[in-house]
Amino acid sequence: MTALVTPAPHGRSGRRVLRARVEARAAKWGRRAGTVAVTALLLVPFLPILLWAFADRWPYPELAPTVWGVGGWLTATAQGAWPALTRSLLLGLTVSAIATPLGAMAGRALARGRVPYGKMVTALLLAPVAVPPFAVTMGLTTVALRLGVPGVVALVAVLVVAAVPYTTYIMRAAYAGYDEGFEETARTLGAGSRHVLLRVHLPLVAPALAAAAFLAFLVGWSDYVVTLLIGAGRIVSLPLLLGASASASGNDPTIAVLALLATIPPVLLLTAVTVLSRRRTQR
Amino acid sequence: MNRRTASSRRAALLVLPALLPTVLVLGAGLGAAVIQSLGLLPLVGKPELSSAAYRALVVDDVLTGLGVSVAIAAASTSLALLVGATAAVLVQRSRIGGLAAVAAAVVPIPHLVGAATVGLLLADSGLVARLVGAQPGTFPALVGGPWWVAVVLELAWKESAFVAVVVLSSLATTERDLDEAAAGLGAGPWQRLRRVTLPLAAPALVVSGTISFAYVVGSYEVAWLLGRTYPEPLAVLAFRLFSDTDLTMRPQALAVAVLTVAVAAGALVAGAALLRRVAVLR
Repeated sequence: MTALVTPAPHGRSGRRVLRARVEARAAKWGRRAGTVAVTALLLVPFLPILLWAFADRWPYPELAPTVWGVGGWLTATAQGAWPALTRSLLLGLTVSAIATPLGAMAGRALARGRVPYGKMVTALLLAPVAVPPFAVTMGLTTVALRLGVPGVVALVAVLVVAAVPYTTYIMRAAYAGYDEGFEETARTLGAGSRHVLLRVHLPLVAPALAAAAFLAFLVGWSDYVVTLLIGAGRIVSLPLLLGASASASGNDPTIAVLALLATIPPVLLLTAVTVLSRRRTQR
Repeated sequence: MNRRTASSRRAALLVLPALLPTVLVLGAGLGAAVIQSLGLLPLVGKPELSSAAYRALVVDDVLTGLGVSVAIAAASTSLALLVGATAAVLVQRSRIGGLAAVAAAVVPIPHLVGAATVGLLLADSGLVARLVGAQPGTFPALVGGPWWVAVVLELAWKESAFVAVVVLSSLATTERDLDEAAAGLGAGPWQRLRRVTLPLAAPALVVSGTISFAYVVGSYEVAWLLGRTYPEPLAVLAFRLFSDTDLTMRPQALAVAVLTVAVAAGALVAGAALLRRVAVLR
Protein backbone atom coordinates (compact mmCIF):
# COMPACT_ATOMS: atom_id res chain seq x y z
CA MET A 1 0.00 0.00 0.00
CA THR A 2 2.72 2.50 1.02
CA ALA A 3 4.80 1.53 -1.97
CA LEU A 4 1.94 2.51 -4.28
CA VAL A 5 1.35 5.92 -2.72
CA THR A 6 4.84 7.19 -1.90
CA PRO A 7 7.24 7.79 -4.78
CA ALA A 8 10.76 6.43 -4.64
CA PRO A 9 12.69 8.76 -2.31
CA HIS A 10 15.32 10.96 -3.91
CA GLY A 11 16.65 14.49 -3.45
CA ARG A 12 16.23 16.58 -0.28
CA SER A 13 12.58 15.82 0.38
CA GLY A 14 13.37 12.23 -0.44
CA ARG A 15 15.89 12.07 2.39
CA ARG A 16 13.29 13.45 4.77
CA VAL A 17 10.79 10.81 3.70
CA LEU A 18 13.45 8.16 4.09
CA ARG A 19 14.33 9.41 7.56
CA ALA A 20 10.68 9.39 8.62
CA ARG A 21 10.36 5.83 7.32
CA VAL A 22 13.46 4.70 9.19
CA GLU A 23 12.18 6.41 12.33
CA ALA A 24 8.79 4.75 12.02
CA ARG A 25 10.42 1.37 11.51
CA ALA A 26 12.72 1.88 14.52
CA ALA A 27 9.72 2.90 16.63
CA LYS A 28 7.84 -0.20 15.51
CA TRP A 29 10.69 -2.54 16.45
CA GLY A 30 11.22 -0.62 19.69
CA ARG A 31 7.56 -1.18 20.58
CA ARG A 32 7.81 -4.88 19.79
CA ALA A 33 10.97 -5.34 21.85
CA GLY A 34 9.43 -3.26 24.67
CA THR A 35 6.24 -5.31 24.70
CA VAL A 36 8.13 -8.59 24.87
CA ALA A 37 10.44 -7.22 27.59
CA VAL A 38 7.64 -5.84 29.81
CA THR A 39 5.54 -9.01 29.39
CA ALA A 40 8.55 -11.11 30.41
CA LEU A 41 9.23 -8.81 33.36
CA LEU A 42 5.67 -9.25 34.63
CA LEU A 43 5.84 -13.04 34.14
CA VAL A 44 9.27 -13.71 35.72
CA PRO A 45 8.02 -13.84 39.35
CA PHE A 46 5.75 -16.77 38.43
CA LEU A 47 8.76 -18.85 37.42
CA PRO A 48 10.18 -19.82 40.85
CA ILE A 49 6.85 -21.05 42.24
CA LEU A 50 6.13 -23.13 39.15
CA LEU A 51 9.56 -24.78 39.34
CA TRP A 52 9.78 -25.20 43.12
CA ALA A 53 6.24 -26.64 43.39
CA PHE A 54 7.41 -29.77 41.57
CA ALA A 55 10.96 -29.97 42.87
CA ASP A 56 11.89 -32.60 45.41
CA ARG A 57 15.59 -31.77 45.33
CA TRP A 58 17.16 -28.61 43.96
CA PRO A 59 20.60 -28.03 45.53
CA TYR A 60 22.30 -24.66 45.14
CA PRO A 61 24.11 -23.88 42.06
CA GLU A 62 21.86 -26.14 39.90
CA LEU A 63 19.74 -24.22 37.41
CA ALA A 64 16.88 -26.75 37.43
CA PRO A 65 15.61 -29.20 40.03
CA THR A 66 17.71 -32.38 40.15
CA VAL A 67 14.77 -34.51 41.37
CA TRP A 68 11.24 -33.66 40.33
CA GLY A 69 8.30 -34.75 42.46
CA VAL A 70 5.30 -33.89 44.57
CA GLY A 71 6.98 -33.76 47.99
CA GLY A 72 5.90 -30.15 48.45
CA TRP A 73 2.28 -31.12 47.83
CA LEU A 74 2.43 -33.87 50.45
CA THR A 75 3.97 -31.54 53.06
CA ALA A 76 1.45 -28.81 52.26
CA THR A 77 -1.40 -31.32 52.58
CA ALA A 78 -0.02 -32.52 55.92
CA GLN A 79 0.10 -28.91 57.10
CA GLY A 80 -3.61 -28.52 56.35
CA ALA A 81 -3.44 -26.70 53.03
CA TRP A 82 -6.81 -27.99 51.82
CA PRO A 83 -8.92 -27.02 54.87
CA ALA A 84 -7.12 -23.65 54.83
CA LEU A 85 -7.99 -23.26 51.15
CA THR A 86 -11.63 -24.04 51.92
CA ARG A 87 -11.62 -21.48 54.76
CA SER A 88 -10.15 -18.83 52.48
CA LEU A 89 -12.70 -19.60 49.76
CA LEU A 90 -15.50 -19.28 52.31
CA LEU A 91 -14.08 -16.00 53.61
CA GLY A 92 -13.78 -14.58 50.09
CA LEU A 93 -17.28 -15.71 49.12
CA THR A 94 -18.81 -14.34 52.33
CA VAL A 95 -17.15 -10.95 51.90
CA SER A 96 -18.23 -10.92 48.25
CA ALA A 97 -21.81 -11.99 49.02
CA ILE A 98 -22.19 -9.08 51.47
CA ALA A 99 -20.12 -6.31 49.88
CA THR A 100 -21.48 -6.75 46.34
CA PRO A 101 -25.18 -6.06 47.06
CA LEU A 102 -24.22 -3.25 49.47
CA GLY A 103 -22.09 -1.66 46.75
CA ALA A 104 -24.77 -2.23 44.09
CA MET A 105 -27.47 -0.50 46.15
CA ALA A 106 -25.21 2.39 47.14
CA GLY A 107 -23.85 2.67 43.60
CA ARG A 108 -27.33 2.86 42.10
CA ALA A 109 -28.49 5.52 44.55
CA LEU A 110 -25.31 7.57 44.07
CA ALA A 111 -25.46 7.33 40.27
CA ARG A 112 -28.96 8.78 40.25
CA GLY A 113 -27.68 11.72 42.29
CA ARG A 114 -30.54 11.92 44.75
CA VAL A 115 -28.64 10.90 47.87
CA PRO A 116 -28.66 13.64 50.52
CA TYR A 117 -25.08 14.89 51.14
CA GLY A 118 -24.07 12.73 48.19
CA LYS A 119 -20.47 13.97 48.01
CA MET A 120 -19.84 13.28 51.68
CA VAL A 121 -21.46 9.84 51.48
CA THR A 122 -19.27 8.96 48.47
CA ALA A 123 -16.16 10.15 50.29
CA LEU A 124 -17.06 8.07 53.35
CA LEU A 125 -17.75 4.94 51.31
CA LEU A 126 -14.43 5.28 49.44
CA ALA A 127 -12.48 6.24 52.59
CA PRO A 128 -11.40 2.68 53.53
CA VAL A 129 -9.00 2.74 50.56
CA ALA A 130 -7.00 5.39 52.45
CA VAL A 131 -7.04 3.62 55.79
CA PRO A 132 -4.54 0.80 56.38
CA PRO A 133 -6.57 -2.25 57.51
CA PHE A 134 -4.04 -3.19 60.20
CA ALA A 135 -4.59 0.15 61.98
CA VAL A 136 -8.39 -0.20 62.02
CA THR A 137 -8.10 -3.80 63.17
CA MET A 138 -5.69 -3.01 66.00
CA GLY A 139 -8.18 -0.50 67.37
CA LEU A 140 -11.18 -2.71 66.72
CA THR A 141 -9.93 -5.90 68.41
CA THR A 142 -10.07 -4.26 71.84
CA VAL A 143 -13.60 -2.94 71.25
CA ALA A 144 -14.79 -6.28 69.84
CA LEU A 145 -13.27 -8.10 72.81
CA ARG A 146 -15.04 -5.85 75.33
CA LEU A 147 -18.38 -6.07 73.51
CA GLY A 148 -18.05 -9.84 73.11
CA VAL A 149 -18.23 -9.74 69.29
CA PRO A 150 -17.04 -13.11 67.90
CA GLY A 151 -13.76 -12.91 66.00
CA VAL A 152 -15.19 -14.22 62.75
CA VAL A 153 -17.89 -11.52 62.74
CA ALA A 154 -15.32 -8.78 63.34
CA LEU A 155 -13.10 -10.27 60.62
CA VAL A 156 -15.89 -10.32 58.04
CA ALA A 157 -17.00 -6.80 59.06
CA VAL A 158 -13.53 -5.31 58.56
CA LEU A 159 -13.05 -7.06 55.21
CA VAL A 160 -16.54 -6.10 53.94
CA VAL A 161 -15.82 -2.46 54.78
CA ALA A 162 -12.48 -2.79 52.98
CA ALA A 163 -14.29 -4.19 49.91
CA VAL A 164 -17.17 -1.68 49.80
CA PRO A 165 -15.13 1.10 48.09
CA TYR A 166 -14.43 -1.20 45.11
CA THR A 167 -17.98 -2.55 44.75
CA THR A 168 -19.53 0.91 45.19
CA TYR A 169 -17.16 2.52 42.69
CA ILE A 170 -17.73 -0.12 40.01
CA MET A 171 -21.49 -0.23 40.46
CA ARG A 172 -21.79 3.56 40.49
CA ALA A 173 -19.98 3.69 37.16
CA ALA A 174 -22.20 0.90 35.79
CA TYR A 175 -25.43 2.59 36.88
CA ALA A 176 -24.23 5.94 35.50
CA GLY A 177 -24.38 4.36 32.05
CA TYR A 178 -27.57 2.41 32.76
CA ASP A 179 -30.66 3.36 30.83
CA GLU A 180 -33.77 3.08 33.00
CA GLY A 181 -35.85 3.32 29.86
CA PHE A 182 -35.46 -0.45 29.45
CA GLU A 183 -37.17 -1.04 32.78
CA GLU A 184 -39.98 1.37 31.91
CA THR A 185 -40.50 -0.26 28.54
CA ALA A 186 -40.72 -3.67 30.17
CA ARG A 187 -43.20 -2.32 32.70
CA THR A 188 -45.37 -0.76 29.98
CA LEU A 189 -45.37 -4.13 28.29
CA GLY A 190 -46.83 -5.60 31.47
CA ALA A 191 -43.81 -7.02 33.29
CA GLY A 192 -44.06 -7.19 37.07
CA SER A 193 -41.32 -5.75 39.30
CA ARG A 194 -39.80 -9.18 39.97
CA HIS A 195 -39.75 -9.93 36.28
CA VAL A 196 -38.17 -6.54 35.54
CA LEU A 197 -35.45 -7.15 38.12
CA LEU A 198 -34.62 -10.68 36.99
CA ARG A 199 -35.06 -10.32 33.23
CA VAL A 200 -34.09 -6.70 32.54
CA HIS A 201 -32.21 -5.04 35.36
CA LEU A 202 -29.82 -7.78 36.54
CA PRO A 203 -28.82 -9.02 33.05
CA LEU A 204 -27.95 -5.44 32.07
CA VAL A 205 -25.63 -4.88 35.06
CA ALA A 206 -24.35 -8.48 35.21
CA PRO A 207 -20.80 -7.77 33.92
CA ALA A 208 -20.33 -4.96 36.46
CA LEU A 209 -21.78 -7.14 39.23
CA ALA A 210 -19.36 -9.91 38.31
CA ALA A 211 -16.40 -7.52 38.38
CA ALA A 212 -17.49 -6.07 41.73
CA ALA A 213 -18.03 -9.53 43.22
CA PHE A 214 -14.60 -10.62 41.97
CA LEU A 215 -12.81 -7.67 43.59
CA ALA A 216 -14.70 -8.18 46.86
CA PHE A 217 -13.76 -11.86 46.81
CA LEU A 218 -10.10 -10.88 46.39
CA VAL A 219 -10.23 -8.71 49.52
CA GLY A 220 -11.23 -11.74 51.59
CA TRP A 221 -9.06 -14.20 49.69
CA SER A 222 -5.82 -12.15 49.86
CA ASP A 223 -6.09 -10.84 53.39
CA TYR A 224 -3.24 -11.67 55.70
CA VAL A 225 -2.85 -9.03 58.39
CA VAL A 226 -6.50 -8.66 59.48
CA THR A 227 -6.94 -12.42 59.86
CA LEU A 228 -3.68 -12.63 61.78
CA LEU A 229 -4.63 -9.81 64.17
CA ILE A 230 -8.24 -10.84 64.80
CA GLY A 231 -7.80 -14.61 64.65
CA ALA A 232 -4.63 -14.51 66.76
CA GLY A 233 -3.54 -17.71 65.03
CA ARG A 234 -6.85 -19.53 65.54
CA ILE A 235 -8.29 -18.73 62.10
CA VAL A 236 -5.89 -20.45 59.70
CA SER A 237 -6.55 -19.21 56.19
CA LEU A 238 -4.36 -20.08 53.21
CA PRO A 239 -2.35 -16.81 53.40
CA LEU A 240 -1.68 -17.48 57.09
CA LEU A 241 -0.31 -20.91 56.27
CA LEU A 242 1.80 -19.42 53.49
CA GLY A 243 3.08 -16.66 55.78
CA ALA A 244 4.11 -19.17 58.43
CA SER A 245 5.82 -21.35 55.83
CA ALA A 246 7.59 -18.49 54.05
CA SER A 247 8.93 -16.92 57.24
CA ALA A 248 10.60 -20.19 58.23
CA SER A 249 13.48 -21.44 56.11
CA GLY A 250 14.24 -24.64 54.28
CA ASN A 251 10.86 -25.65 52.89
CA ASP A 252 10.88 -24.00 49.50
CA PRO A 253 8.71 -26.66 47.75
CA THR A 254 5.97 -26.22 50.38
CA ILE A 255 6.10 -22.42 50.05
CA ALA A 256 5.79 -22.77 46.29
CA VAL A 257 2.82 -25.16 46.52
CA LEU A 258 0.96 -22.89 48.96
CA ALA A 259 1.72 -19.85 46.79
CA LEU A 260 0.48 -21.70 43.71
CA LEU A 261 -2.73 -22.72 45.50
CA ALA A 262 -3.30 -19.08 46.47
CA THR A 263 -2.77 -17.98 42.84
CA ILE A 264 -5.00 -20.41 40.95
CA PRO A 265 -8.51 -19.43 42.16
CA PRO A 266 -8.12 -15.68 41.48
CA VAL A 267 -6.72 -16.31 38.00
CA LEU A 268 -9.53 -18.78 37.19
CA LEU A 269 -12.15 -16.32 38.44
CA LEU A 270 -10.56 -13.49 36.44
CA THR A 271 -10.80 -15.62 33.31
CA ALA A 272 -14.46 -16.39 34.05
CA VAL A 273 -15.32 -12.71 34.62
CA THR A 274 -13.49 -11.67 31.44
CA VAL A 275 -15.23 -14.31 29.34
CA LEU A 276 -18.61 -13.35 30.80
CA SER A 277 -18.24 -9.64 30.05
CA ARG A 278 -16.83 -10.31 26.58
CA ARG A 279 -19.76 -12.52 25.68
CA ARG A 280 -22.13 -9.76 26.86
CA THR A 281 -20.54 -7.07 24.75
CA GLN A 282 -20.47 -9.30 21.67
CA ARG A 283 -24.19 -9.90 21.81
CA MET B 1 -41.66 18.46 46.11
CA ASN B 2 -43.18 15.55 47.97
CA ARG B 3 -42.09 13.13 45.30
CA ARG B 4 -38.59 14.54 45.53
CA THR B 5 -38.28 14.03 49.28
CA ALA B 6 -39.68 10.54 48.87
CA SER B 7 -37.11 9.66 46.21
CA SER B 8 -34.24 11.11 48.20
CA ARG B 9 -35.42 9.18 51.25
CA ARG B 10 -35.42 6.04 49.12
CA ALA B 11 -31.90 6.86 47.91
CA ALA B 12 -30.75 7.36 51.50
CA LEU B 13 -32.21 3.96 52.42
CA LEU B 14 -30.31 2.35 49.54
CA VAL B 15 -27.04 3.88 50.69
CA LEU B 16 -27.47 3.08 54.36
CA PRO B 17 -26.58 -0.66 54.32
CA ALA B 18 -23.13 0.20 52.94
CA LEU B 19 -22.68 3.41 54.89
CA LEU B 20 -23.57 2.07 58.31
CA PRO B 21 -20.93 -0.70 58.57
CA THR B 22 -18.31 1.58 57.00
CA VAL B 23 -18.89 4.35 59.53
CA LEU B 24 -19.16 1.87 62.41
CA VAL B 25 -15.99 -0.08 61.60
CA LEU B 26 -13.88 2.95 60.66
CA GLY B 27 -15.26 5.00 63.56
CA ALA B 28 -14.89 2.28 66.18
CA GLY B 29 -11.52 1.08 64.87
CA LEU B 30 -9.86 4.46 64.45
CA GLY B 31 -11.59 5.92 67.50
CA ALA B 32 -10.41 3.07 69.68
CA ALA B 33 -6.93 3.34 68.18
CA VAL B 34 -6.69 7.03 69.08
CA ILE B 35 -8.18 6.48 72.57
CA GLN B 36 -5.82 3.60 73.29
CA SER B 37 -2.82 5.48 71.99
CA LEU B 38 -3.64 8.21 74.50
CA GLY B 39 -3.71 5.69 77.34
CA LEU B 40 -7.46 5.92 77.92
CA LEU B 41 -8.28 2.26 77.32
CA PRO B 42 -5.42 0.26 78.80
CA LEU B 43 -5.48 -3.53 78.91
CA VAL B 44 -3.85 -3.38 82.33
CA GLY B 45 -3.89 -0.59 84.91
CA LYS B 46 -5.88 2.63 85.24
CA PRO B 47 -6.98 4.73 82.29
CA GLU B 48 -5.09 8.00 82.25
CA LEU B 49 -4.87 10.62 79.52
CA SER B 50 -1.30 10.96 78.39
CA SER B 51 0.78 11.58 75.32
CA ALA B 52 3.48 9.30 76.73
CA ALA B 53 3.09 6.80 73.88
CA TYR B 54 3.70 9.47 71.27
CA ARG B 55 6.60 11.00 73.21
CA ALA B 56 8.17 7.57 73.68
CA LEU B 57 7.91 7.04 69.93
CA VAL B 58 9.69 10.26 69.02
CA VAL B 59 12.64 9.17 71.13
CA ASP B 60 12.32 5.67 69.75
CA ASP B 61 12.59 4.51 66.18
CA VAL B 62 9.39 5.89 64.82
CA LEU B 63 10.98 8.68 62.78
CA THR B 64 13.34 6.18 61.17
CA GLY B 65 10.35 3.91 60.55
CA LEU B 66 8.44 6.79 58.99
CA GLY B 67 11.39 7.52 56.73
CA VAL B 68 11.73 3.87 55.70
CA SER B 69 7.98 3.55 55.00
CA VAL B 70 7.84 6.71 52.90
CA ALA B 71 11.05 5.79 51.03
CA ILE B 72 9.79 2.29 50.20
CA ALA B 73 6.41 3.66 49.10
CA ALA B 74 8.01 6.41 46.99
CA ALA B 75 10.50 4.06 45.32
CA SER B 76 8.02 1.28 44.57
CA THR B 77 5.30 3.66 43.40
CA SER B 78 7.69 5.54 41.07
CA LEU B 79 8.87 2.26 39.56
CA ALA B 80 5.28 1.02 39.27
CA LEU B 81 4.20 4.23 37.50
CA LEU B 82 7.11 3.98 35.05
CA VAL B 83 6.61 0.30 34.21
CA GLY B 84 2.80 0.48 34.35
CA ALA B 85 2.58 3.51 32.05
CA THR B 86 5.07 1.93 29.64
CA ALA B 87 3.05 -1.28 29.60
CA ALA B 88 -0.20 0.63 28.95
CA VAL B 89 1.29 2.63 26.07
CA LEU B 90 2.79 -0.55 24.57
CA VAL B 91 -0.58 -2.31 24.72
CA GLN B 92 -2.17 0.67 22.95
CA ARG B 93 0.49 0.76 20.21
CA SER B 94 1.82 -2.72 19.68
CA ARG B 95 0.15 -5.46 17.69
CA ILE B 96 1.63 -8.16 19.92
CA GLY B 97 -1.17 -9.32 22.22
CA GLY B 98 -0.93 -10.84 25.65
CA LEU B 99 0.57 -7.98 27.65
CA ALA B 100 -2.84 -6.64 28.71
CA ALA B 101 -3.94 -10.12 29.81
CA VAL B 102 -0.70 -10.69 31.74
CA ALA B 103 -1.04 -7.36 33.56
CA ALA B 104 -4.67 -8.16 34.39
CA ALA B 105 -3.61 -11.56 35.75
CA VAL B 106 -0.94 -10.08 38.04
CA VAL B 107 -3.39 -7.70 39.76
CA PRO B 108 -5.46 -10.33 41.64
CA ILE B 109 -2.44 -12.22 43.01
CA PRO B 110 -2.07 -11.71 46.78
CA HIS B 111 0.93 -9.60 47.79
CA LEU B 112 1.93 -12.38 50.17
CA VAL B 113 2.27 -14.76 47.21
CA GLY B 114 4.34 -12.11 45.47
CA ALA B 115 6.56 -11.80 48.52
CA ALA B 116 7.03 -15.58 48.71
CA THR B 117 7.93 -15.94 45.04
CA VAL B 118 10.19 -12.85 44.97
CA GLY B 119 11.95 -14.41 47.95
CA LEU B 120 12.53 -17.61 45.96
CA LEU B 121 13.74 -15.44 43.06
CA LEU B 122 16.10 -12.99 44.78
CA ALA B 123 17.37 -14.70 47.94
CA ASP B 124 21.08 -15.56 48.09
CA SER B 125 20.24 -19.11 47.00
CA GLY B 126 17.44 -17.98 44.70
CA LEU B 127 16.91 -18.37 40.99
CA VAL B 128 18.74 -15.16 40.04
CA ALA B 129 21.78 -16.11 42.13
CA ARG B 130 21.84 -19.47 40.31
CA LEU B 131 21.47 -17.80 36.91
CA VAL B 132 24.40 -15.42 37.45
CA GLY B 133 26.39 -18.28 38.98
CA ALA B 134 27.18 -16.45 42.21
CA GLN B 135 29.62 -18.21 44.54
CA PRO B 136 27.94 -19.00 47.89
CA GLY B 137 28.15 -15.92 50.13
CA THR B 138 28.93 -13.43 47.37
CA PHE B 139 25.40 -12.63 46.18
CA PRO B 140 24.26 -9.16 47.35
CA ALA B 141 21.63 -9.16 50.14
CA LEU B 142 18.61 -8.21 48.06
CA VAL B 143 16.33 -9.96 50.56
CA GLY B 144 16.74 -8.54 54.05
CA GLY B 145 19.50 -6.21 52.89
CA PRO B 146 20.15 -2.56 53.58
CA TRP B 147 18.39 -1.21 50.46
CA TRP B 148 15.06 -3.07 50.69
CA VAL B 149 15.57 -4.19 47.07
CA ALA B 150 13.33 -7.27 47.19
CA VAL B 151 10.59 -5.37 49.06
CA VAL B 152 10.57 -2.51 46.56
CA LEU B 153 10.70 -4.86 43.56
CA GLU B 154 7.79 -7.01 44.79
CA LEU B 155 5.63 -3.98 45.49
CA ALA B 156 6.62 -2.39 42.16
CA TRP B 157 5.80 -5.62 40.30
CA LYS B 158 2.26 -5.94 41.65
CA GLU B 159 1.50 -2.22 41.61
CA SER B 160 2.81 -1.71 38.07
CA ALA B 161 0.22 -4.21 36.87
CA PHE B 162 -2.42 -2.24 38.78
CA VAL B 163 -1.23 1.05 37.22
CA ALA B 164 -1.25 -0.53 33.75
CA VAL B 165 -4.84 -1.78 34.13
CA VAL B 166 -6.12 1.58 35.43
CA VAL B 167 -4.31 3.61 32.76
CA LEU B 168 -5.46 1.24 29.99
CA SER B 169 -9.09 1.50 30.99
CA SER B 170 -8.82 5.31 30.95
CA LEU B 171 -7.08 5.49 27.56
CA ALA B 172 -9.18 2.93 25.68
CA THR B 173 -10.29 4.03 22.22
CA THR B 174 -10.18 7.83 22.68
CA GLU B 175 -6.40 7.83 22.81
CA ARG B 176 -6.06 5.60 19.77
CA ASP B 177 -8.28 7.90 17.69
CA LEU B 178 -6.46 11.05 18.81
CA ASP B 179 -3.10 9.39 18.27
CA GLU B 180 -4.05 8.45 14.72
CA ALA B 181 -5.29 11.97 14.09
CA ALA B 182 -2.01 13.43 15.40
CA ALA B 183 -0.03 10.99 13.26
CA GLY B 184 -2.10 12.04 10.24
CA LEU B 185 -1.14 15.66 10.95
CA GLY B 186 2.54 14.67 10.84
CA ALA B 187 3.40 14.30 14.55
CA GLY B 188 6.27 11.91 15.27
CA PRO B 189 6.06 9.06 17.83
CA TRP B 190 7.76 11.01 20.64
CA GLN B 191 5.71 14.12 20.00
CA ARG B 192 2.49 12.08 20.12
CA LEU B 193 3.59 10.41 23.34
CA ARG B 194 4.31 13.76 25.01
CA ARG B 195 1.43 15.80 23.61
CA VAL B 196 -1.38 13.25 23.27
CA THR B 197 -0.89 10.08 25.30
CA LEU B 198 0.69 11.37 28.52
CA PRO B 199 -1.80 14.25 29.07
CA LEU B 200 -4.67 11.78 28.51
CA ALA B 201 -3.13 9.25 30.91
CA ALA B 202 -2.17 11.80 33.58
CA PRO B 203 -5.36 11.60 35.72
CA ALA B 204 -5.25 7.78 35.76
CA LEU B 205 -1.54 7.91 36.66
CA VAL B 206 -2.22 10.27 39.55
CA VAL B 207 -5.13 8.17 40.86
CA SER B 208 -3.36 4.81 40.59
CA GLY B 209 -0.10 6.23 41.94
CA THR B 210 -1.86 7.72 44.95
CA ILE B 211 -3.77 4.55 45.78
CA SER B 212 -0.63 2.48 45.39
CA PHE B 213 1.41 4.83 47.64
CA ALA B 214 -1.25 4.76 50.37
CA TYR B 215 -1.48 0.98 50.08
CA VAL B 216 2.27 0.47 50.39
CA VAL B 217 2.54 2.75 53.43
CA GLY B 218 -0.07 0.61 55.21
CA SER B 219 1.05 -2.80 53.97
CA TYR B 220 2.69 -5.26 56.31
CA GLU B 221 3.43 -8.67 54.86
CA VAL B 222 5.91 -7.80 52.09
CA ALA B 223 8.24 -5.74 54.31
CA TRP B 224 7.87 -8.31 57.07
CA LEU B 225 8.90 -11.23 54.82
CA LEU B 226 11.50 -9.61 52.58
CA GLY B 227 12.76 -6.71 54.68
CA ARG B 228 15.41 -6.49 57.37
CA THR B 229 14.66 -6.63 61.06
CA TYR B 230 16.01 -3.15 61.75
CA PRO B 231 14.98 -0.41 61.08
CA GLU B 232 11.34 -1.38 60.63
CA PRO B 233 8.76 0.38 58.47
CA LEU B 234 5.69 1.68 60.35
CA ALA B 235 3.36 -1.29 59.84
CA VAL B 236 6.00 -3.82 60.93
CA LEU B 237 6.95 -1.67 63.93
CA ALA B 238 3.28 -1.32 64.96
CA PHE B 239 2.76 -5.06 64.62
CA ARG B 240 5.80 -5.93 66.74
CA LEU B 241 4.76 -3.51 69.49
CA PHE B 242 1.17 -4.77 69.31
CA SER B 243 2.11 -8.43 69.75
CA ASP B 244 4.65 -7.68 72.48
CA THR B 245 4.00 -9.70 75.64
CA ASP B 246 4.49 -6.47 77.58
CA LEU B 247 0.95 -5.10 77.35
CA THR B 248 2.05 -1.59 78.33
CA MET B 249 3.50 -1.36 74.80
CA ARG B 250 -0.03 -1.32 73.36
CA PRO B 251 -0.47 2.46 73.45
CA GLN B 252 2.77 2.84 71.50
CA ALA B 253 1.62 0.27 68.93
CA LEU B 254 -1.60 2.19 68.42
CA ALA B 255 0.26 5.49 68.23
CA VAL B 256 2.27 4.05 65.33
CA ALA B 257 -0.98 2.82 63.74
CA VAL B 258 -2.53 6.30 64.04
CA LEU B 259 0.60 7.82 62.49
CA THR B 260 0.39 5.33 59.59
CA VAL B 261 -3.24 6.27 58.97
CA ALA B 262 -2.23 9.96 58.96
CA VAL B 263 0.51 9.32 56.37
CA ALA B 264 -1.79 7.26 54.11
CA ALA B 265 -4.65 9.75 54.37
CA GLY B 266 -2.23 12.63 53.79
CA ALA B 267 -1.02 10.93 50.62
CA LEU B 268 -4.62 10.64 49.41
CA VAL B 269 -5.35 14.31 50.11
CA ALA B 270 -2.19 15.30 48.24
CA GLY B 271 -3.17 12.99 45.38
CA ALA B 272 -6.65 14.54 45.19
CA ALA B 273 -5.12 18.03 45.02
CA LEU B 274 -2.74 16.91 42.29
CA LEU B 275 -5.61 15.32 40.39
CA ARG B 276 -7.50 18.63 40.33
CA ARG B 277 -4.45 20.36 38.82
CA VAL B 278 -3.92 17.65 36.23
CA ALA B 279 -7.61 17.68 35.32
CA VAL B 280 -7.47 21.48 34.85
CA LEU B 281 -4.54 21.05 32.47
CA ARG B 282 -6.73 18.94 30.27
